[in-house]
Amino acid sequence: MELKYVGKPLPRVDAEAKVTGTATYVADIRLPRMLHAKVQRAGTPHAGIRSIDTGEAENMPGVMKVVTGKDCKILFGTCLWDQPPIAVDKVRHAGEAVAVVLAETPLQAEAALKKIEIEYDPLPFVLDPIEAAGSEASLIHEKNGEYRRVEYVVHPVKGTNIFHHYSLRNGDAEKGFQQSDIVLEEHFEFPLSNHCAIEPHGAICRFSSDGSIEIWASNQAPFVLRDVLADMFGVSASKVRVHIPYLGGGFGGKSDICIEPLTAYAASMVPGYAVKLVLSRREVFTSTLVGRGVKARMMIGARKDGTFTALEAEMYFSDGAYGDTSWPVCTVAGHNCTGPYHFPHVKTDVYGVYTNSPPVGAFRGYGHPEGQFMVGRLIDILARKLDMPVWEVMQKNFLKEGKKNALGQTITKSNGDLDRCLEEVKKAIFTGSKPKETERYLYGRGVAAMMKSPKMATNSSSGCLLSINADGSVFVTLAGIEMGQGCQTVFTQMAAEALKVPIEKVRMYQDVDTQFSPWDWQTVASMQTYRGGRAIIQACERAIEQLKGNAAEALGCAVEDVEYDGECFRRGEPSKRLSVGSLARGYMHENGLTVGVPVHTAGSYRVQGVIEPDPKTGMGNAAASWTFGCQAAEIRIEKATGKVEVLHFASAFDPGKVINPVTCRGQVVGGVVQGMGATLMEKMEFKEDGTIGNPNFGPYRIPRIKDVPKKQTVIFLETPNEEGPWCAKPIAEHPIVAVAPTIVNAIADATAIELYCLPVTAEDVLNALQRKGGS
Amino acid sequence: MPTIKLTVNGSTHQIEIEEGRVTLLDVLRDKLELTGAKYGCGVGQCGACTVILNGDAVTSCTVLARKADGGEVLTVEGLSDGYILHPIQEAFIESGAVQCGFCTPGLIMRTYSLLTKNAKATEEQILEALNKHLCRCTGYESILKAVKLARAKMTL
Repeated sequence: MELKYVGKPLPRVDAEAKVTGTATYVADIRLPRMLHAKVQRAGTPHAGIRSIDTGEAENMPGVMKVVTGKDCKILFGTCLWDQPPIAVDKVRHAGEAVAVVLAETPLQAEAALKKIEIEYDPLPFVLDPIEAAGSEASLIHEKNGEYRRVEYVVHPVKGTNIFHHYSLRNGDAEKGFQQSDIVLEEHFEFPLSNHCAIEPHGAICRFSSDGSIEIWASNQAPFVLRDVLADMFGVSASKVRVHIPYLGGGFGGKSDICIEPLTAYAASMVPGYAVKLVLSRREVFTSTLVGRGVKARMMIGARKDGTFTALEAEMYFSDGAYGDTSWPVCTVAGHNCTGPYHFPHVKTDVYGVYTNSPPVGAFRGYGHPEGQFMVGRLIDILARKLDMPVWEVMQKNFLKEGKKNALGQTITKSNGDLDRCLEEVKKAIFTGSKPKETERYLYGRGVAAMMKSPKMATNSSSGCLLSINADGSVFVTLAGIEMGQGCQTVFTQMAAEALKVPIEKVRMYQDVDTQFSPWDWQTVASMQTYRGGRAIIQACERAIEQLKGNAAEALGCAVEDVEYDGECFRRGEPSKRLSVGSLARGYMHENGLTVGVPVHTAGSYRVQGVIEPDPKTGMGNAAASWTFGCQAAEIRIEKATGKVEVLHFASAFDPGKVINPVTCRGQVVGGVVQGMGATLMEKMEFKEDGTIGNPNFGPYRIPRIKDVPKKQTVIFLETPNEEGPWCAKPIAEHPIVAVAPTIVNAIADATAIELYCLPVTAEDVLNALQRKGGS
Repeated sequence: MPTIKLTVNGSTHQIEIEEGRVTLLDVLRDKLELTGAKYGCGVGQCGACTVILNGDAVTSCTVLARKADGGEVLTVEGLSDGYILHPIQEAFIESGAVQCGFCTPGLIMRTYSLLTKNAKATEEQILEALNKHLCRCTGYESILKAVKLARAKMTL
């Protein structure tokens, strides 16, 4: 049947509010009796707290209270309970909260901060993950290994800074390497970086005398937040109410629990008052969750004909002061570092290591860009060594129908068509010969492939509530967070399609509120269209059943004889129709007699059959809903400066059915630019004293409009995936995954220089060119 | 408390200014409840707080409130009458240039400043203006398209 709304480039449902400035974000919200919070940060990366004197600060004008961690017994977490909401006896990174001033205005709170006196006993600090994992390093958590944890998934090494060790043993890597004609091994680095959503993190929290907690937060995971707060304060989840307004960008930086426990802890000291904390940009850099941060070694083996034999990887994540948000990054990196290739033997060891930086959390595609940068680079080098075109090596080893991935799962046709993705980007970038070197520029081309299979809770679900009004309009509620990706728009399209009603009749929820919204795991892993869409379809099917039941009673016929095409009618009598509105509250006859039921339904969808990896082998059905893709680029390098310009960047993904081509392209174009930032410019710098040296836009550069590719080509293949709504698969994080290997491979093509550490700045390229020229 | 006088979106206000570093952005958001302009960085790097002050686009997070005394301000809330959108706003919607929306009001005000001063702004001039802004969602492609569409709409 022809689709009316799904697959169409419809305008976003949230756009009008956003262009008029009326869309509400957390910083825009004011409540009665609201206090403003400002936070004293440690300023030193690792130290015991000897004393905190808040006396003078408490006497400052407008100050209501100064909260410290004294006597705080709370540790919060979701799988590893290792973090207090505010520093208690020691600080583990320089941005950690040590005291919070609550005052009538933000300026009064800020003035009082300056009056707090803290004395520290400095401890040695460590930022390098390999050094931190060693036996010489000072312990950042003396209780590592003793904290409450979900034992099946988090594997600490007691007496060290390693809070999680994931290992995967698929086949016999040693044997695989013995059977190889060629083995390559390199060391790689992916720096710590910041998500840089333009909206800084914020939260407003209020405790009531009955023990209930209400919070407004810029967070992608309202129900996780609800459960964490309930756990922290020992109240039932039903007494915690979480509101999420529009999010000004997330990228994973708001998917973990971050500033909310601190805000709530401070609010718990002043019940009846609302406490508002909105971070400065500087604090976003120093005191929220950051991303990536890996030092790693990877080895691949192959036969002369390019067939892969084995892969071995050892990765150390500098995961910062706390581990609850980064252990999944390690696990995912461990089983996805093969990229979309079949290696008969895989051995990976990934270590999540405590260091004295802000803690690492989710960041767009987490666990995928890290490992697939390495494998994408090694394959490029391998092809040159074997004197084969890189695409031949790629194609020979692609995961495709019947092949097994590192987890041991068998790939099916519906997982996507990598061959065609590769053909498309090859056509876009490699057609015709490369521009010749000029006096000013070197030219290069590169290609890499990617896959992404989200890390998710094994019960990861979405819910949908649907009600129909007497005028035939429809209200649909899910709990997917609108953070720019466009979930409210594609939900609207899917609901109108499934219910067969005009799209202008469908009104989608705006804010998420755990008191009214159906349970949803969280808005992460590119899964809202996929999971939410299935929940919508079920809610719509159930609504149609109810409408038909009402119609059957109204028409005095069997329900099997009622047809629905957006209205109900008795089979064979299509002219006598009952509108959706007339059936919405049951059907009322002329004399007022009402039959049937009011129509409101619920739908839900849970990912199917996912389990946690086996603790011994690291394998199992731990991933679902892959999306495959390939990316390629043509670049030029200015010889005098080393500056890399991306002339043309092509992406081909196979996300199944594209629900909205405009929002889908928006995800890819934006993701590529974010990936370019990671590849060429972004890195958190640390000063000698262990504090962050570039904590604002300006010193921390992210791409501006003049930095972006001169041209982007975006191609979608639509291999049907039976599980997704209208055969759609996830697409959102994916565009970032293979950008770094694509561009760095192009740099290698242009310069014959192999680079392994990100970011590759102009200075790095220039230095490498000079070294090469000198040798 | 010292006061300043500001005319914002056509209405004149006397505003008390608290002691300390109070910016034009603080006044707009906290005193006048015009929350369209956003705080993104506080140092004029991201452009999310851009408004028009005395005819020029400024980053309101770097303008001290007392320096704006007597000034005339236009914010995103003043662009449309609440019923009919301004052509720039229409262009942003039609070009798919809105994602999370946090940078959008600032970009719209920058575009307003550019195109009201120079209705025939060249691509280079557009890039120069947009380069003062950060957007982490779109990759800028749709924003450039929106500004070009706005240029066409405004010269009709």
